[in-house]
Parts: sequence; C-alpha cells; structure tokens
Amino acid sequence: LLAGAGRGTGLGTAFSTAPPPEKKRWLRAYLELQRLQAPPQRRSEKPNWDYHAEIQAFSHRLQENFALDLLKTAFVNPCYIESEEARRRQLGLDKDAVALQLQDNTGLAERGQRFARAYLAQCFEGAYPELPAKGIEALVNFLTGQELVSYVAQNLSIQDLALCRDFPAPPDVLQRTFLAVVGALLESSGPERTGIFVRDFFIPQLIGKDLFEIWEVVNPMGLLLEELTKRNISAPEPRITRQLGVSTVLPVYFVGLYCDKKMLAEGPGETLLAAEEEAARVALRKLYGYTENRRPWDYSKPKQGLAAEKAISSN
Amino acid sequence: RYVRQLQRLQLLFSPTAADARGARQFVEEAAQDFARQHPDVVLYVSPHSGPGPAPVLRAEYLNGTVRDELVASKTSEEIVQLATKLANQSGLDIIRIRKPFHTDNPSVQGQWHPLTNKPSILTVQGPRLQPQ
Repeated sequence: LLAGAGRGTGLGTAFSTAPPPEKKRWLRAYLELQRLQAPPQRRSEKPNWDYHAEIQAFSHRLQENFALDLLKTAFVNPCYIESEEARRRQLGLDKDAVALQLQDNTGLAERGQRFARAYLAQCFEGAYPELPAKGIEALVNFLTGQELVSYVAQNLSIQDLALCRDFPAPPDVLQRTFLAVVGALLESSGPERTGIFVRDFFIPQLIGKDLFEIWEVVNPMGLLLEELTKRNISAPEPRITRQLGVSTVLPVYFVGLYCDKKMLAEGPGETLLAAEEEAARVALRKLYGYTENRRPWDYSKPKQGLAAEKAISSN
Repeated sequence: RYVRQLQRLQLLFSPTAADARGARQFVEEAAQDFARQHPDVVLYVSPHSGPGPAPVLRAEYLNGTVRDELVASKTSEEIVQLATKLANQSGLDIIRIRKPFHTDNPSVQGQWHPLTNKPSILTVQGPRLQPQ
C-alpha cells in the first residue's frame, strides 16, 4: 500500500511534519506497536552500515594503528563461519563455494590472552611485590574473566563489529573477540604498545575494588600466620580493644592483633570471631600493601625495561 | 586514554525540500572537513528522495543511546556546531544533575564513628611516675 508505506516512513523517525490526514485512526498506533515489538536486530542489518569504515573508525577511536586485515580476522568467530557454511549448504551451492575464505580468531585470541595475562601478572608483581602468587593469579583471573572483558567490549562497540551466530552476542564470544583484538594489536604494533593498551583498558577496572572482594580467602588467620613466620615475627595475640552494645542484638567488637605488644591491625565485627577474622584481613591488606590509602596506579612511564621480558613471555 | 563516545552520525535529509537547504550545503561544503577532523566518527549521508520527514541528524553513542536532532532550517555553520557538540558529548542521558560535585574519597583520615576518639579498653592509666 503506497499510502501505508508513506505513513510507515513518516513514523519511522520520531519527527515528522504535520501528519497527513489518515484513513484509519488506529493505523498509527498499530504501526508503533509493530515497531516496538519487532525483535532486536544487529546493527549491521539496519540501514546505514559500512563495515570497512566502521573498522577504520574503531582503530582511530582506540588511537592505535591496526593492520586492517588482522583486525578483520580478529572479529570473525568460529560460530559465524559454521553458521555461514551451513546456510550456504542449505542454499545448495557447490562444495567449493561452501568453504569460506575467512580465518578464525581463535589463534589471535589465544595469543592475546597469553600476552594480557603475562603482562598483567608482571605489572602486579612490580607494583605489589609482597603479594603472593595466588593473589596475583586471582587478580589476573578477575581482570581477564568473562564478565569484565565482555563489559569493556560492549562499551567499545565490539558487539556491533563482531561476526557471530547469535544476537545479542554472548559474553564468552565478546571476551574472545576482545582478546583477539589485543592479539591483532600485538601482531601489528609490537608488545610495548599492546602493553600500554592492556594497561589503559584493564587496570582502571580495579579502581574502588578491595583485594578480598576479588581474591576469596577462606582462612585469613592461617594465611596471616604463614606471612608472619616468613618475616620472623611472633604469632599475633588477639585482644578486644573496644566494644559497644554487648548485650544487644547488634554488638560491635573491635579486635586488635598485637605482635610483641605492638599493634598490627584492628578490625571490627559483629561477633568476636568475625571481628578477629576482619582484623586478620586488615593485617593482610597492610602487609601486602593493598590498603585503600595506597598510592594510585602509575600510568606515566611506558616501562622500557620490561619490553624484553614481555617479548620473551609472550612467545 | 580518551575514547570518543560518539560512534556514528547519520544525516537523513531530502534533496528537494526547502528546510533541508542547510543540510544540503553542509553535505556539499563542510561534511568532508568534519569527517577528516573526526576520524573516529563514521558519517553517513543518506538523502531520501521525495517529500519525506524533516531533516534529522542522528547520533549513536558507544553505550547505545541514539539521539535525534532536527536540522530543519539551520545554516551549514550551525549544523557543524551541532555536530561538534554531539561529538564531544558522552551518551549518558541528559537529565537534571542533582549535585554539581562528587567525590570518590569522601573522607581522608577515616570517617568518624562513635568509637573514633574513645580510648581502647586496654590502655591502663596508672599513677604518674616521679622524675628520677
């Protein structure tokens, strides 16, 4: 219906000049309902989409020089290749035409993940030398985990550019695509620039986070005893420093840990056990240097000395 | 590092309507310069023939917000200014900001709680020692 089409385009944008007198009053509401109930579509299927231009804009937005063909392979996911081949087979093409000429992003993703993990582990070893290996591993796992990486990828519009079978793209696909982008940057610009990229996009996600939110420690007191024996300090003696409301429903106990009669840390809690555990956690935070009032992360120098180690560790 | 939040700008206008004159002049003169100055924004120019809706500049941001701005009866320079304004915005909703200040560290020495300045139970106050 020409008239219906005219009304449809007129209602497609929110703005229109004075609407032409309609034949039926309910048509406008019906078309609006259709528009709202339509299933969500990929941005690449909506009008005005130029893949090459979008990829160029993506590389400019991140202020990095990518090799564009590497970047295009980084966005191709294996599920996309399978679905495309299945579709072509269904349409009845020859065997030669069915096989796509595209490469996967699994190789790039693996390299990107290895590099990111090694680089972040190095950063943390340099910044928090007291932190044990398990703590560093927990931090690196948190930063390269699915949730965080897919959140960062969504806000960098990777979900528009990634080619995958399902829409909206599931978080593991987004994580793989983002790590493949890191891998592509590694191949095109070298380990130094990729290190700066990883630092700029992953480390700010730690702002405002506490160490023990990220690292699950079951027995902080045992860990504290180990740390103190390593440093040849005697075992801590817990004493109640302050208490409030002992006989009420909500008591507050402040338990302090004393080594050789000097205070190590003090922590509050609802019961004596909880307060002792909290005091052990506070003591661990102080020992590892991950308190809230530590110096903020140093984003200034590009750290030339680590370039050789990074190159070795990424291989 | 700074990542521009504007993803793409779509200029939808009609090649014959009278109020799209500024949009047409923008496309002829200033669109290429704008695109060169902002290489991280994709600029789409789509004329739709025939009498259609009013000319509109649609901005899409990285967090998904889509903002439409009418450019009917605007001159080319005004459209350039509008486009740069959109390019420097983030995609957050434009609502009333409740407070013009925000801080991530509300307390420097530790927030006061009722036990801050109370001495601990363990301090013992004995008689003052005489100087020897």
